[in-house]
Amino acid sequence: MPGGYTGKILRVNLTTKTVGTIDTAKYEDFGGGHGIGSAVFFDLAGDQLPFDAFDPRNPIIMMASPFSGTFTPGSGRCEVQGLGPMLYPIEWFGHSNFGGRFTAQLKFAGWDGIVVEGSSDDPVWINIVNDKVKIESAKDLWGMDTWETQQDISRRVSPKLRYGEWAELAENCFTTQVPAVVCCGPAGEAKSRIASLLHGPGSQAALCGFGGVFGAKKLKAISAIGTGSVPIADPKAFMDTRLWFRQFLWDVDDPYQAEKYEGRAYYLISGQPSGGNTLNRQLPLTPARAAACASCPRGCRMRLATGDSNESICAGTLAINIPGSPKLSRLGSDVMQKCGLSHWHLQTVQRYVQSLYQRGILGKGKKIDTDLPVDQVGSLGYIDLLLRKIAARQGIGDDLAEGCARFAEKYGLYKEDLASGALPLTYWGTSDHYDARVETEWGFGSLLGERDLMLHMMANYPLHWMALSGSPYLTAEDAAKLFTDAMVPYQGDALMVDYSPAGTYSDSRVKQVAWVKHYEKFWVGAGGFCGWRWPMCITNNTPDHRGPTPHAEPRFWNAVTGKKLTFAEGMEIGHKIYTLDRSIWVLQGRHRNMEVFPDYIYDQKSRANILPMYQDGKWSYETGEGRTLDRAKVEEFKTKFYRFEGYNSDNGYPTRDTLEKTGLRKVADLLQSRNRLG
Amino acid sequence: MAESTKSEEKKTVSRRTFLTGGGAVLAAGTLAVVAPAAAEVTPSSEAKVSYPASTGYIVYDSRLCWGCQSCMFACSMSHQGEANPTLSRIQIIRDAPSFTTYPLDIEMAVCRQCVTPLCVQNCPVGAAHVDTEHGNIRRIDQKKCIGCKKCIQSCPQRPHRTVWNPYLHKSSKCDLCVDAPYWSKTGGPDGEPACVTICPSRALKLVHDTPPQADVAGYDVNLAPPPPPPGPPRRPGTPPPAPQAAPKS
Repeated sequence: MPGGYTGKILRVNLTTKTVGTIDTAKYEDFGGGHGIGSAVFFDLAGDQLPFDAFDPRNPIIMMASPFSGTFTPGSGRCEVQGLGPMLYPIEWFGHSNFGGRFTAQLKFAGWDGIVVEGSSDDPVWINIVNDKVKIESAKDLWGMDTWETQQDISRRVSPKLRYGEWAELAENCFTTQVPAVVCCGPAGEAKSRIASLLHGPGSQAALCGFGGVFGAKKLKAISAIGTGSVPIADPKAFMDTRLWFRQFLWDVDDPYQAEKYEGRAYYLISGQPSGGNTLNRQLPLTPARAAACASCPRGCRMRLATGDSNESICAGTLAINIPGSPKLSRLGSDVMQKCGLSHWHLQTVQRYVQSLYQRGILGKGKKIDTDLPVDQVGSLGYIDLLLRKIAARQGIGDDLAEGCARFAEKYGLYKEDLASGALPLTYWGTSDHYDARVETEWGFGSLLGERDLMLHMMANYPLHWMALSGSPYLTAEDAAKLFTDAMVPYQGDALMVDYSPAGTYSDSRVKQVAWVKHYEKFWVGAGGFCGWRWPMCITNNTPDHRGPTPHAEPRFWNAVTGKKLTFAEGMEIGHKIYTLDRSIWVLQGRHRNMEVFPDYIYDQKSRANILPMYQDGKWSYETGEGRTLDRAKVEEFKTKFYRFEGYNSDNGYPTRDTLEKTGLRKVADLLQSRNRLG
Repeated sequence: MAESTKSEEKKTVSRRTFLTGGGAVLAAGTLAVVAPAAAEVTPSSEAKVSYPASTGYIVYDSRLCWGCQSCMFACSMSHQGEANPTLSRIQIIRDAPSFTTYPLDIEMAVCRQCVTPLCVQNCPVGAAHVDTEHGNIRRIDQKKCIGCKKCIQSCPQRPHRTVWNPYLHKSSKCDLCVDAPYWSKTGGPDGEPACVTICPSRALKLVHDTPPQADVAGYDVNLAPPPPPPGPPRRPGTPPPAPQAAPKS
């Protein structure tokens, strides 16, 4: 195997209680991470589709990338894949990911990923110490919250470890590190469709409901710790690239650099940039440090002296809002993390419950009869009760644990409330995010995927948030030109980031959406990159404002693996992975007719979402407020997109020609056998 | 330089005393390996040795560390050409099992280049030595190391800063990147060690004055940038505030 890989993927069957391996080399053409995960899923389960997410046949796959365990900037993510019980109306083959130290420790233990098949009768956890893998009983862990679980497992794995000292894990294997544990909480144990996986205090795989899949398998946790090496093909080239990359980082000795980097997406703490944890803004600030995932030079998380909401970030801290009290909001966030509930879904849960209450549909003696004290919305007591009811499936919590879509469907409200926007589940049962009517590549990228895109660095932070800062460091014209210069292989077409009405359905938008999906699948997905970090097409930290994309990605990749991959070739692999994912969705029942936005996106006017727009021969930043999408034009856009990607525009199915050109002949054969070849 | 440091620098120690004391804690099996080599280098019974102070030290600010462990990866990659936290001569320990709160959630373990280097004093074969050609930094010559682990056992820090290489069965320690074949920059007391250069939060700094030796505080110092000036936040793109003196730790 080339550098970056350990050469083997751990394969655990919880039904038979057996442990085996899969050779990574077999899947090398898929890069790593998401690419290998999709290919493994297809091989193990593709011909058995469709089946349910809680079916033992649904393998949950957790992949590292060749970058994991190196210090390629922002490469600390773990890609989680499998059928997602949160997704609607079909539990699509989905993906989520989380940061922290897990993939680094997994690689040091000698594994490129983990595949868990089957389900256990009794609760278990998987204990990985280098090449020693044990399926351990979790009977006495079942019922514990996510923090207790991790602490308990750490003590079990390293009983001799005294914090701050070296421990001999096994003969001649020393470490100062504590195990990296990922687990489900009580919500996952109860097979909630909105259950998350948690690693550390706040690193959450929030989308798709994989915590519930853990619960269905009676899998409480996976712990990994290792003392081995990640081989690097050309370590000197890697170190040189890492040095070169420093020019794109902000100057931490000038804290205000953080703000000008991407607008106001960052906040300052202890004189350092940090981001996302917006709940430490009440003066006097709680003493804290910025905190980072393994290998990341951004440090977007925080650890507070009070210990609450540690390392929760962005939606992890925004999901719970106790008006006027950051402290109580943080404590509410901790309840969410301990229960193992998806921050991205909880926001919609709270809004929708409140909406139903205000409409007289939910409450004591109402159509949805509950004693939930919704009149106490805004108090920590209400949040605590709501979250614990969901996690334990008590009362109304049992319905809400099914996720908002299925909850609304049960009470006959889904169709009406989705159409009106009262139930803002824009993308396959996942919540509305950036406005699909203005930031259209986010909307199309999600619609043509399986859940909310959740990739801020594509254009969201660099363009929208920079402009929103009020004093963007680039004019709209320069931003469009520089940003699209980096969008290899479609570079040079500035209209790819024209967010004017004329640009909404343009050929350039087709290329942009394809670029987003291909980058998502390869550099972010297969490379294990953080969507808050990559890509970096523009920056305020270099004189010419050009970011490291598209040069950094292949430089790091080739230094680690020893290959000679170009950025464009990586994007081709991204197309291949997207085509494979799409084929799996087709096997589950996907058809272009299903790929439509909720009615409110077509019928109700957009929010303000400032972005570059090209109108009347000039570039400017405009809000795009008050727009709607046109149903017919969306369909025309889809037709162009399917053709651009090599799919049949009648149904959106990949064609044999496209599948064979991308090396997916056996996928074509299976689709053909199901009469679903494009 | 602090008075206490100067006096400690001049302190002389009997190596025999240390060798005797150190040998008492060794396991029998280890002694069997060590004894012949140790006999060759044991100084005369009354010999007194002192060590010239290193001219380079890495100090750190544990409150600034983000816990990204980039320094650890940079260390093992620069020296061994592979990413391996076990081989790193700097250890960043985070996520204690109890989810400890700031500032106790991260521990930075950096070699102190001790004024009185017990690793050097207790090495029976002279592998651990003072490198007079490179600013007196304390190094371990891998060719001479016999893997007896005396340097590890004698390191007074927790976790010990001398690091065991389980593949080579030898010890190593921070050399300020004097011998880092995969690091393009020059290391040493006047150079740019990889961990210091790479650290994205500037929580590490190479200094020349000997830090106070008595406790951790001498090395765990305030490296924070000046606080922002009073008043509303500066708008993006405007000049940085005028430099101010960093507050004392």
